[in-house]
Amino acid sequence: MSKQFQFKLVLLGESAVGKSSLVLRFVKDQFDDYRESTIGAAFLTQTVTLEDQTTVKFEIWDTAGQERYKSLAPMYYRNANCAVVVYDVTQSPSLDKAKTWIRELQRQADPNIVIALCGNKTDLSARRQVTQEEAQKYADEEGLMWGETSAKTGEGVSEIFTAIAKKLPLTAPPPRTATRGAAGATGGRGVDLNKQSATGQNEPCNC
Amino acid sequence: MLTSLLTVFTEPLVCILAALTHNTDPLHLISRRTGKAKSSEDPLSGRASPESNQSPERLQRERSIRTNRRHRFINCLLQEDIDIAALRKLAWQGVPNDLRPIVWPLLLGYMPLPCPLRSSTLKRKREEYASLVEVTFARDRRGLDQQIWHQIEIDVPRTRPGVRLWMHACTQRSLERILYVWAIRHPASGYVQGINDLATPFFQVFLSAYIDSEVEDFDPTLLPSNVLSAIEADSFWCLSRLLDGIQDNYIAGQPGIHRSVKRMAELVARIDPPLAAHLASQNVEFMQFAFRWMNCLLMREISVRNTIRMWDTYLAEGADAFSQFHLYVCSAFLVKWSEKLRQMDFQGIIMFLQSLPTQGWTDHDIEMLLSEAFVLSSTWHNAQSHFNGK
Repeated sequence: MSKQFQFKLVLLGESAVGKSSLVLRFVKDQFDDYRESTIGAAFLTQTVTLEDQTTVKFEIWDTAGQERYKSLAPMYYRNANCAVVVYDVTQSPSLDKAKTWIRELQRQADPNIVIALCGNKTDLSARRQVTQEEAQKYADEEGLMWGETSAKTGEGVSEIFTAIAKKLPLTAPPPRTATRGAAGATGGRGVDLNKQSATGQNEPCNC
Repeated sequence: MLTSLLTVFTEPLVCILAALTHNTDPLHLISRRTGKAKSSEDPLSGRASPESNQSPERLQRERSIRTNRRHRFINCLLQEDIDIAALRKLAWQGVPNDLRPIVWPLLLGYMPLPCPLRSSTLKRKREEYASLVEVTFARDRRGLDQQIWHQIEIDVPRTRPGVRLWMHACTQRSLERILYVWAIRHPASGYVQGINDLATPFFQVFLSAYIDSEVEDFDPTLLPSNVLSAIEADSFWCLSRLLDGIQDNYIAGQPGIHRSVKRMAELVARIDPPLAAHLASQNVEFMQFAFRWMNCLLMREISVRNTIRMWDTYLAEGADAFSQFHLYVCSAFLVKWSEKLRQMDFQGIIMFLQSLPTQGWTDHDIEMLLSEAFVLSSTWHNAQSHFNGK
């Protein structure tokens, strides 16, 4: 019997960095050049199967990027197990905004939250403003996962979500987690319970 | 001849009335010339429209109801000093498409009710907008508020994506100017995502006064620049009027939306307790779906055509309808799906509510919704203390 887990994932980042496009690529393997801006937040789910046949179902809250909607964000990240904070590699200021989100998560979110920093729009290489070195250095300092993606070409998208999936559930003792994962699946909730037992084992590495 | 007629019709909101009664609306010339006319007969193929497939009696009956309503509207609009109460009463039931470009500005108080003032007021307001634009954009882009401009610049190309009218650079520049000028004149809110959506019905309705073809497929560069400027100015002022009533929705912390969502949750708990209980048991928070319903006035949930019909009633209801009456509309809208929702779990509910099956909705569906909202509003509006426990 394969193990099943369910986790809440929240996407944060400045407006128009491609949060919704990233999720659309991950969930439906589609891309639109122009998509209506997200208002409030959008909800999607996607399941990832790992090599050992463990399945990880993500309940994804894709939030709106504009500053004015900031007050809504805690509602979406407060029970999140993981966060993908997105910036646009062609817009330097969007990395600063990502850093602001990361500081807020570190202060306000679940202390065990797994945070991935994600540089999107790598297909626009001619317009790149944020180097890989700069972003990776920051991620390392803060103990974050880091990756680059192109929602347009699909490059790096499934990789970053799979990497998060691998980092997430396996820290908890499998039998307990599996039971609670199943309970979570029926109730739509309760996944954060297994985070309790993971305390102390899931510290971000400080390279 | 075209030129002279168009000169007249840069003030169509006034002159269209005369044209209507004489049935010589010269604006149709524009669309005829583009070969995109959408009249009852396709000008290119000469084929009759599909309407002629219906039974003749039914057609005649429907036509006569429509004609009657039109006559009542026209009689009302032809008064020297329009009886706004009478106009509101008529408009609540929906405004005929071709009269909407006149009726909306009257209901919004943008166009004065006494006939002699209309032409001069419109002229003045359009000039005022033109000078606002001129002053605002006098310097190059570095003179603009970078944060506001950046947000508008990234939202305009993704406003109604895929709709030809809104993909034209010319329409997009108009929308940018409307949004930016509004934003800097309202520093407490500035531009907030979703306001771009709210500008589109006005632009489409005012554009429809000048053309005979499908608005959403129209290339606005075919219009003379003074006509386009008039559409833009009228859209700006009417959008401003609408937003005046819901500015609380867009200032810091968005208190208007939080208040409306809270009241909606309280109301639904009263009118459909099983649904409210089910949503609570599934940990669904109203804010998770109704935020957008308030922020974009349901424009993401229903078609623009549906929205335009809905706004006929909102505008007839009065200035605070976009916050007050809208709350009842949203409650009625949610309860409509009660039976389905009560069989779904958290994920099912949220996913269903963010892509509701309203694609096929007609005016009739909207009118049902508005009637239900009216009943709710009549029952509960002065009984707030009953449902908020204060």
